[in-house]
Amino acid sequence: MRWHRPRALHPAVPALQAQLHAGQLDRRAFLRTITLLGVRASVAYAMAGLLPTRTGMAQAQSKGNMGGNLRCSMRVKPMPDPAIFDWGEKSNQARHILEYLTITGRDNITRPYLAESWEVSADLKVWTFKLRQGVRWSNGDILNADDVVYNFTRWLDPRIGSSNLGLFDAMVSTSDTGRKEKDGQPILSKSLTTGAVEKIDEATVRLHLNRPVLAIPENLYHYPCAIVHRRFDDMGADFSKHPIGTGAYRLQTFVVGEKCVLTKRPASEYWGPEAYLESITYVDHGDDPAAHLAALASRQVDMVHEVGVESLPTIARLPHVVVQEVITSQTGVARMQVTQKPFDDLRVRQAVQLCVDQRRLLDLAHRGKGEPAEHHHVAASQPDYAPLPPLRQDHARARQLLAEAGYPNGLTLSLALGAADTWHVTLVQAFKEMCAPAGITLQLNVMPGPSYWEVWDKVPFGFTGWTHRPLGVMTLELGYRSGVPWNESKYANPAFDHALDLAAATLDVQERRKHMASVQRILQHDAVIAQPFWRSIFSATTRQVQGYATHPSLYHHFNGVWLG
Amino acid sequence: MLRFLGKRLVAMLVTMLAVSALVFLVLEVSPGSVATKVLGPYSSPEQRQLWLQQHGYTAPLALRYVRWLDRMWRGDFGESTRFKTPVHAVLWPRLANTALLGLSTFTILVPLALTLGVLAGMRAGSGLDRLISLGSILTTSTPEFASAVLLSTLFVFRLAWLPGTSSMTDGFAWQELVLPTAVLVLADTGYVTRMTRASMVEVMHTAYIRTAVLKGLPWPVVLLKHALRNALITPFTVVMLQINWLLSGVIVVEFFFAYKGFGALLLEASLNQDIYLIEACTLVAVAVAVGTQTLADLGHLYLQPRLRTTGQSGSGAP
Repeated sequence: MRWHRPRALHPAVPALQAQLHAGQLDRRAFLRTITLLGVRASVAYAMAGLLPTRTGMAQAQSKGNMGGNLRCSMRVKPMPDPAIFDWGEKSNQARHILEYLTITGRDNITRPYLAESWEVSADLKVWTFKLRQGVRWSNGDILNADDVVYNFTRWLDPRIGSSNLGLFDAMVSTSDTGRKEKDGQPILSKSLTTGAVEKIDEATVRLHLNRPVLAIPENLYHYPCAIVHRRFDDMGADFSKHPIGTGAYRLQTFVVGEKCVLTKRPASEYWGPEAYLESITYVDHGDDPAAHLAALASRQVDMVHEVGVESLPTIARLPHVVVQEVITSQTGVARMQVTQKPFDDLRVRQAVQLCVDQRRLLDLAHRGKGEPAEHHHVAASQPDYAPLPPLRQDHARARQLLAEAGYPNGLTLSLALGAADTWHVTLVQAFKEMCAPAGITLQLNVMPGPSYWEVWDKVPFGFTGWTHRPLGVMTLELGYRSGVPWNESKYANPAFDHALDLAAATLDVQERRKHMASVQRILQHDAVIAQPFWRSIFSATTRQVQGYATHPSLYHHFNGVWLG
Repeated sequence: MLRFLGKRLVAMLVTMLAVSALVFLVLEVSPGSVATKVLGPYSSPEQRQLWLQQHGYTAPLALRYVRWLDRMWRGDFGESTRFKTPVHAVLWPRLANTALLGLSTFTILVPLALTLGVLAGMRAGSGLDRLISLGSILTTSTPEFASAVLLSTLFVFRLAWLPGTSSMTDGFAWQELVLPTAVLVLADTGYVTRMTRASMVEVMHTAYIRTAVLKGLPWPVVLLKHALRNALITPFTVVMLQINWLLSGVIVVEFFFAYKGFGALLLEASLNQDIYLIEACTLVAVAVAVGTQTLADLGHLYLQPRLRTTGQSGSGAP
């Protein structure tokens, strides 16, 4: 038995425990915070006086049947470079081959994965990750600190174009490229700060942040953070052609648009508990939800990655199928580019926001399955949410704002969106009717899903779907901080960035909530987005599928799943 | 005969050349647009410029067209941006899948439609004729997406007799061909039946049939030896034209049943602006259309011997 030196608790943990016992902190926030500070999930649950809950992740302790092939209906997309994954489906294909340093369960608690443990300095600026011993890549190499350093270096290289550049903003520096924008402004570039990632020894990596951030472990389970082999670029930088991974499965067959077959590595090669399933097959049935349902109804597949809300009545009639509903922070936002006319005028953006009746839109477009949103992209289900005064639809005020902005007779706006998600189309049609009384004529530019993703960050006014993230600040870092790759509204507000820095750096939950209130208020006031609701998501399996629980991000992790 | 064949082949080549020029002009006239589609919208101007130079897009338009034509002729269609693989690697298997679907459809459709058409046209105005005509109109006027939903609801969701999708993930499975084939047969049988009926009615009113009947020939001999051969000339051309319809007109059926065929590929290529795949699909579709038209003309020539002496096809004029 190997001896482990007991790790010292982070100095903030006793205070947080005292807050929990005094009733100033709820258990969910307590668990989340102390696990981020490096306390193991099992210990954290014990400190909170709870039994660990089922996470839906790698729970191989239960007794299941070995063998079998799990067939899942899901789009099969190209997956050349995990660092630039832009769809959860891509990461699901790769997730059983590649692994992450941490793993965030469906209970929003982050646990060790390839990183066996981590420690953080009192000021939350120095993070030390200890790697799991004995993890072997499928080519026989040992996972070591070089792999982790290599991945951070790639993610934060602006030439790669990874969204991680926004997520790990506290590790990057901004420099002038020497080029100019059309308006003469210098074009800035963000890249890894020298020395921000340090190899301590073969199994230890240290991150040096330029400002405190609490959510680093959670960020490491963001789907483009899969750890690739340290020679990924040397091997051609195409994961589907050289699928070297540390996971329990290897890639057997991969045909974009058709299927992706994964087969289990020998148990002796894999560091974790042996997975039950002999193989996993993703079958691409195209974009038509009816095809996915038909495949499930006729038992051609064992599960469907996601079931649209419009399919629920049909699926309820299938006796061999179980539907799982998860409340998430998945949403869609009608975002306005603040650099383009007429959205460079705050009053126009606020007028658009005032047309929204969130509850009505939720009922019309998503059968009431979800929660109304508040135009600031932080969900009440996320632990860092701070309640703000309720919003209400106000057409009179919207008309007044438009008149002040120079549009006394109203104006016509073109809203671009993709047609791949049925609820997007239903929603914007209802939204169009809500805008009409304020004098806003909304022209809908509905385009095929892939075509929209070509222009999602370019059109002045677009409706974009955003996936679930366990923390509000994660989405805000990715989508609203100045200059980050996924900032589709081109929003740049130093006051917002500063407030976000404070929220991300504050350990005390009550204090952080105050900072979050400020963050949310700024974003809401600046009217960058009109956000209708947070939606529940649904997945469906046959009753044969055991041990599967839907993750709010629809991440797949089938190591603990078996066929009954 | 040889002269006719030569003429048809020249016409075929000219048509293909004209279409290829059109495809090239529509899709490749703007090099910048090609580079953006291949490298993606996030590529930098420097990357696009480098790519254009590496791939010969700085050459004059005419020279680019000749080079492009040469590549196409050699079967080098380029690399698909959607599938991240050479176009031919995805194109030919998909074409073969659609050919399989077409074969199964034609195996049922042709005998069924011809039989029904002959039966209806044999005694125009009879009860059987009216019944067949009504059925033909009903099935022809039902769009594929509607019959696909109806059949799927019945045989997949209610009776659970058949698989709901036809992806053939685990290799060929005839059961997965049943529903797409049924939808296509339903959609097209009525049309071919009506054409056969019309042709049969026309033949049954000709002088040589009347003469044959008056000569006292047995009814089956009149039908099979004299009426049918002449009545089948029009349906033959119609059936040949249905090959084109099958190739690109099956998009709805392939999409609905997730069948990995040529129609679904064309749709996916268009939605994803996969420029090289669109070019290859278009050229293949045109080649098949022109090829089947030539085959139809040859068949016409065989069925109408007098055309062999005049060297004409299709008109039937003296």
